[in-house]
Amino acid sequence: MRQSLDLAREVLDHEIVDADGVSCGMVDDIEFDHPPGKPPVVSNLVVGPHAWSARTPALLSWLVRLVVHAPVVRVPWSEVEHVTERVQLRSTAAKLGLGKADRRVGKWVSRIPGA
Amino acid sequence: MGRFAEVFLGILTAVGGFVEIGELTFTLTAGSIFGYTLLWVTALGTAGIILYCEMAGRIAAVKHRAVFSLIRERTGFTAGLITLVAATGVSVLTCAAEIGGVALVWQLLSAWSYRWLVIAALVFFVLVVWWLEFEWIERVFGLGGLLMCVYVATALAEGPSWSDLLAGLVPRTPDVASGRELANYWYYAVAILSSIMLPYETYFYASGGIEDQWKPKDITLNRVIVIVGFALGGLLSVSLVVIGAEFFQAHSIQPQLPGSAAISAVLAFGSVGLFAALLGMFFAFAGAAIETALSGAYNIAQFVGWPWGKYREPRNAARFTLTWLVIFVACTAIIVTGIDPVQVVEYSIVFSVVVLPFTYLPVLVVAADKRIMGEYANGIASNVLGWIYLVIITLAAIVAIPLFVFTHGGQA
Repeated sequence: MRQSLDLAREVLDHEIVDADGVSCGMVDDIEFDHPPGKPPVVSNLVVGPHAWSARTPALLSWLVRLVVHAPVVRVPWSEVEHVTERVQLRSTAAKLGLGKADRRVGKWVSRIPGA
Repeated sequence: MGRFAEVFLGILTAVGGFVEIGELTFTLTAGSIFGYTLLWVTALGTAGIILYCEMAGRIAAVKHRAVFSLIRERTGFTAGLITLVAATGVSVLTCAAEIGGVALVWQLLSAWSYRWLVIAALVFFVLVVWWLEFEWIERVFGLGGLLMCVYVATALAEGPSWSDLLAGLVPRTPDVASGRELANYWYYAVAILSSIMLPYETYFYASGGIEDQWKPKDITLNRVIVIVGFALGGLLSVSLVVIGAEFFQAHSIQPQLPGSAAISAVLAFGSVGLFAALLGMFFAFAGAAIETALSGAYNIAQFVGWPWGKYREPRNAARFTLTWLVIFVACTAIIVTGIDPVQVVEYSIVFSVVVLPFTYLPVLVVAADKRIMGEYANGIASNVLGWIYLVIITLAAIVAIPLFVFTHGGQA
């Protein structure tokens, strides 16, 4: 059993894989709860362009907000099964609201013969 | 056949990197200007790409991790994003040039309008990548690319000066009259190193290993594939230098188009040489177009965490599929304007050198990490060589753009 986890090096910017083993995004940001008088605890992994754009220079961040309107997806830390080189989730992407755009584009792509 | 056929991944990757349209003409030109004096750069680059592709392939086999997720994880988001933008730019420019190259080869065979052939090439690529499984893309374009060996036969027929060839493998500064000529020499040295160690080769190769479902037991196979594939690429590159030095320099021809590259094979082997050269170029350029378009889509998907891979049904890797389709269409839109494909790819070669350190550092760091790779981590030799190469490519990345500007892209 691991005693510690370096969030910046071992979680942030790592691939997230759902219960079916399918990639469903990267850890674009991490949210904490900070109750008064208690140490902060990780509450959510945040996924989506608006999450990573907040970490980039102001101009790029503004451009992303202008072009992309999809809201970020918050994955509760309790949904994390374990962390290796990837962040493994307990549930499927669909249940957690991840990979929506892929499913939307998938409906369109599936109309092409051979898809 | 099964496992043996995996070698075509290495051959396709190497042919698509070493003798695509830009490098074909660029290496011939370098040979025609500098003779054998730059051969050491070819040898240095070939050993470097073998070293790093072996590491990237090993990571793919052991951990099923592709290069761009490592880049984001190890260099951080902003540096990773800059690398992604630059790598995508290089992929798109190179892919555009290869589509133009395929159209030029078809034009030599049919005399039809170039612009219509560019559109036909787009349709061809979309159908091939949509319908062919990854392993058949490897086999068809890897095997067809072997026709480029006609240039090895041509080089031998030219009767190379073996003593000069061996002397060229030793690094040295040439006897030149002016500082400008010296800058030109180093510009070509940096560009050849960059063109051999092109980052998209590593992205494609490692992603290909995951497409082919490699497992830890395949790491010996991975070694064989990189050595066979890239040694063949190196041999083709050396042959082009020989042809440049012995044929184009002697006849004062500037080999600026794929058609002129075929002349040497025609004079050596007649119509058989011509068809082998044209078919070989078709498979090499087409292989490079597919390699660059797919590696562009692999990179973006791996950076943002989309499901990716030709091994998935297109509807199950929808954004990845859409991305390679968009890349092909965008590249066609660029090249149909009539822009010179050779010029396009020469710019992309110089700019890709800047991406090299950001590509290879994460690969080296992860391949060396025993906590991640366990018993499959780098040995001492790979680590020492890896760091030496990283210093070399970092120096090349620093001087590439100043040399490009100072020599007007090798025209000084």
